[in-house]
Amino acid sequence: MSDATVALSIRSLGRIPGVAVMLALLLVIFSAVAPGFLSAANIANVLVQSTILMMLSLPMTLIIMTEGLDLSMGAVLTLTSLVVAIVSLATGSMLLGLAAAVLVGAAFGTVNGWLVAVLGIPPFVATLGTLGIAQGLSLIVSDGQSVVGIPRSVSEVYSATLAGVPMPIVLALLCYLVFHGLLYHTRFGTYVFALGGNREALKYAGRSPTRLLIAVYALGGATVGVAGLMMTARMNSGHPTAGLGLEFDAIAAVAVGGTSFERGNGWLPGTVLGVIAVGILRNGLNLMALPSSIQVASVGFLVIFALFVDGLRGRS
Amino acid sequence: MTDVTKPALASPRAFVSEDVIQVFYRLLAALVICVVLSLLSGSFLHLANILNVLRQASLMFFIASGLTLVVLTAGLDLSVGANVAISACLAGTVIHQTGSPTLGVLTGLVAGGVIGLLNGVMVTALRIPSFIATYGMLWVLNGLTYWYMAGGIVHGFPPGFRQIGSGYLFGLPTPVYLLGAFLAIGTIFAQRTVWGQQIYAIGANPVAARLSGIPVTRRLIMVYVVSGIMAGLASIIFLARLNSAEADIGESLTLPAIAAVLIGGTSLFGGVGTMFGTFVGALILTLVLNGMNLLQVNANWQPLVTGVIVVLAVWLDMKMRRRT
Amino acid sequence: MRRSIYTALTLLASGAMATTAYADGETIAVFTKNQTNPFFQAVRVGADNAAKTLNAKTLHYIPTKPDSIPEQLSQIEDVVVKKPDAIVFTPVDYKAMVPGVEKINGANIPVVNITDRSAGGKFVSFVGADDYSLGLETARFLLKKLGGKGNIVIIEGVKGSLTNVDRVRGFNDALKENPGAKLIASQPGNYQRLQALQVMENLIQSNPQIDGVLAANDAMAMGAIEALDGANVKAQVIGINGTKEAVDAIKSGKLLASGDYNGFLQGCVGTTIAIRTLRKQPVVSEIVLKPTVVTKDNYQPYDSSVESRSCPTWDEALKLGGK
Repeated sequence: MSDATVALSIRSLGRIPGVAVMLALLLVIFSAVAPGFLSAANIANVLVQSTILMMLSLPMTLIIMTEGLDLSMGAVLTLTSLVVAIVSLATGSMLLGLAAAVLVGAAFGTVNGWLVAVLGIPPFVATLGTLGIAQGLSLIVSDGQSVVGIPRSVSEVYSATLAGVPMPIVLALLCYLVFHGLLYHTRFGTYVFALGGNREALKYAGRSPTRLLIAVYALGGATVGVAGLMMTARMNSGHPTAGLGLEFDAIAAVAVGGTSFERGNGWLPGTVLGVIAVGILRNGLNLMALPSSIQVASVGFLVIFALFVDGLRGRS
Repeated sequence: MTDVTKPALASPRAFVSEDVIQVFYRLLAALVICVVLSLLSGSFLHLANILNVLRQASLMFFIASGLTLVVLTAGLDLSVGANVAISACLAGTVIHQTGSPTLGVLTGLVAGGVIGLLNGVMVTALRIPSFIATYGMLWVLNGLTYWYMAGGIVHGFPPGFRQIGSGYLFGLPTPVYLLGAFLAIGTIFAQRTVWGQQIYAIGANPVAARLSGIPVTRRLIMVYVVSGIMAGLASIIFLARLNSAEADIGESLTLPAIAAVLIGGTSLFGGVGTMFGTFVGALILTLVLNGMNLLQVNANWQPLVTGVIVVLAVWLDMKMRRRT
Repeated sequence: MRRSIYTALTLLASGAMATTAYADGETIAVFTKNQTNPFFQAVRVGADNAAKTLNAKTLHYIPTKPDSIPEQLSQIEDVVVKKPDAIVFTPVDYKAMVPGVEKINGANIPVVNITDRSAGGKFVSFVGADDYSLGLETARFLLKKLGGKGNIVIIEGVKGSLTNVDRVRGFNDALKENPGAKLIASQPGNYQRLQALQVMENLIQSNPQIDGVLAANDAMAMGAIEALDGANVKAQVIGINGTKEAVDAIKSGKLLASGDYNGFLQGCVGTTIAIRTLRKQPVVSEIVLKPTVVTKDNYQPYDSSVESRSCPTWDEALKLGGK
């Protein structure tokens, strides 16, 4: 790892208290007031429910680190989950469904990357465009209906366990290890940091920022394809609007976790904590059976509070 | 992204003429769309249809106009839709309980403004990025609206009040006059007042702007307050047009407003864009949607078409700016 | 119903306790689709009403994102851990929620299906209105009023939702019975007032002669009426839901009729069945509420706010359509 990366990592480490403190607070409060919160079954639930968001938030972290944004993730998730349903229904194979989903996701990611890196369109706009395209395609291939009757092998992905650990958690963990390894232990990771704060350095190193940027978005798209499999497995069907809007949750989780929008200060573990914090908040409020309107407002407060604290810590 | 060496108040006059060219091209695009639609559909050129389009575009413009100022400062306000919803619900309730449309209008405007103020404070004093701050606000507002409305609707307003939204004045829909008024006010404000110029400067180069003595915090707060008040205004028009308010009317309003701002040529990086451009952006979007309805295009295609247009518009804009 | 500003402030001050605690009694978890549709508010009021009468407690689960499938799935998973005594369930999507219902079945919690008939899973009972007959009867009423002929427009709801599919099917079958009536357009309004208004505005442009509008819900019917009024086009409009606003419009003659979907009753009866099951009292496997077309002649029972109504007794409920 280069000195710059080490320095950035150390600066990122200074953020540990922020989101971790909030997580700890939430855990303490909910253990006290939410009945059944601390049971093993409930904690397992929260973790499992967070996996799809996790799979969106991890690549989103990288994208945000490159001063970008991917608004199309929710729509692409919906589309890839439909692809899994349709392909596995037609071929009887879960793996083929997965492969198709990853391909479609990667294709969208590549288009996003191309729009941003080659055409120079601001990521917000580019991904807003692909959002519309993915959303439209979802409605068209499904004609607005759920796709049902898919092979058991798909839903088993969600309900299976590996050594007692639910499969979704295993997959999310794998996903995290992959991203963590990529970001902190490979040269690719260094380049991603550079894409955010220091694109000039890339040119001096003889690397093409364009190709790297496209790779980051494509990787994101491929990961969304895997999340599509999870989503279809969970619903045991494909649905044309199921994942819409999730990209905002992912962006919020990344921001809550400490990654800054302005430069390449990314902290992947923070994203994980951010996702879990949001999941715990929703779960705790559910268990307390608070009026749904309060649940809705609380999510907003959490996000604002998290970033307010971050601001206090003097990040600029 | 923030290069201190860029000039802070880089010749406003230059911006104006460059922007005029951009707006011109967009008007041309809108014209082309009109021609195509009139060829494809016999009903497009009916006076009633044109008036409908103008009215629909006005509604979009009210929200998008305040948003334009925010985006000019390189910010974003994701809470506008929810703002419209809660302001409409509050205003509607006030009209019912006090019988006074004037009080209702005031309530809507004040509610919108207060929300804008809170957004502005979050972005400046609390130093929360506008994307996140307004996103959080969106959720908070939704929660409040759901709780307040409790699944109910507020409906049935005095006919005089309803004229604001659904009435006609000398043959043109009433909102169009308001559109004209705010377009004029907005353009004069942005291009010809010191405050307006300062907003452009803040967007172009916040560091230099601060260094050259512009009270950035105060201007930013003002910009969010204006965005909020415009959302409040939009809520009144919606209330008058629909003769009702419910908790979920804001859901589908935010993204089209943002799209209108972007299609109109305002840059997300700040410092570039015009009010008139936003109006043309709203017009283009409305024309396309109107066309799809008239031609009975399957509703499934609508998000796709909207997305493509936004990307196309921004891309063309960038290509042309690079040339000049 | 919405609160006045004054009571809102008082309520805010006294804290947001949505469920009053009952001394002892079963806990019934009630799942509805969203917080914004007045229909589901009526369902919740009905459920609370029934529970209060029978000395039980209700807990409400509503997705924070309206109609969100993943959220309802999560809420089911959470509820299975919390283990209420029984569940009254409206699936956000009748096909996608089947795994969720199977989870509830796996946890051995008795569950009653209301409103939308789920495509799978085991239920103690189903309580709902038959959307198909609702659409059919309401459309028949309009067509009869028009003498069986005229230009008809259908404003559909959300593409893919069961209520929409069945209602529109009912509309179309009623049209088939009346060969003199011509369907000139069928466009989606997504159950949204503004969208229906703008769609109707645009349709009026391409079809100046419109005699009847079949809207798949009341909000869209009201939107269509606004558009028709604005363009000075006279047409008969029907909606579905039987909301207070629709009833007011029927009284004033703006709306011809509204098919009664009665969320209040569904909430009442569904909860009653859940409680009776727990108390080992006899229940029936389904109660399909007979369609009522609310018109100028019979609107009186529907003219009151949901909160002021009271649930029917068990025997009255059976007469509504029990099998």
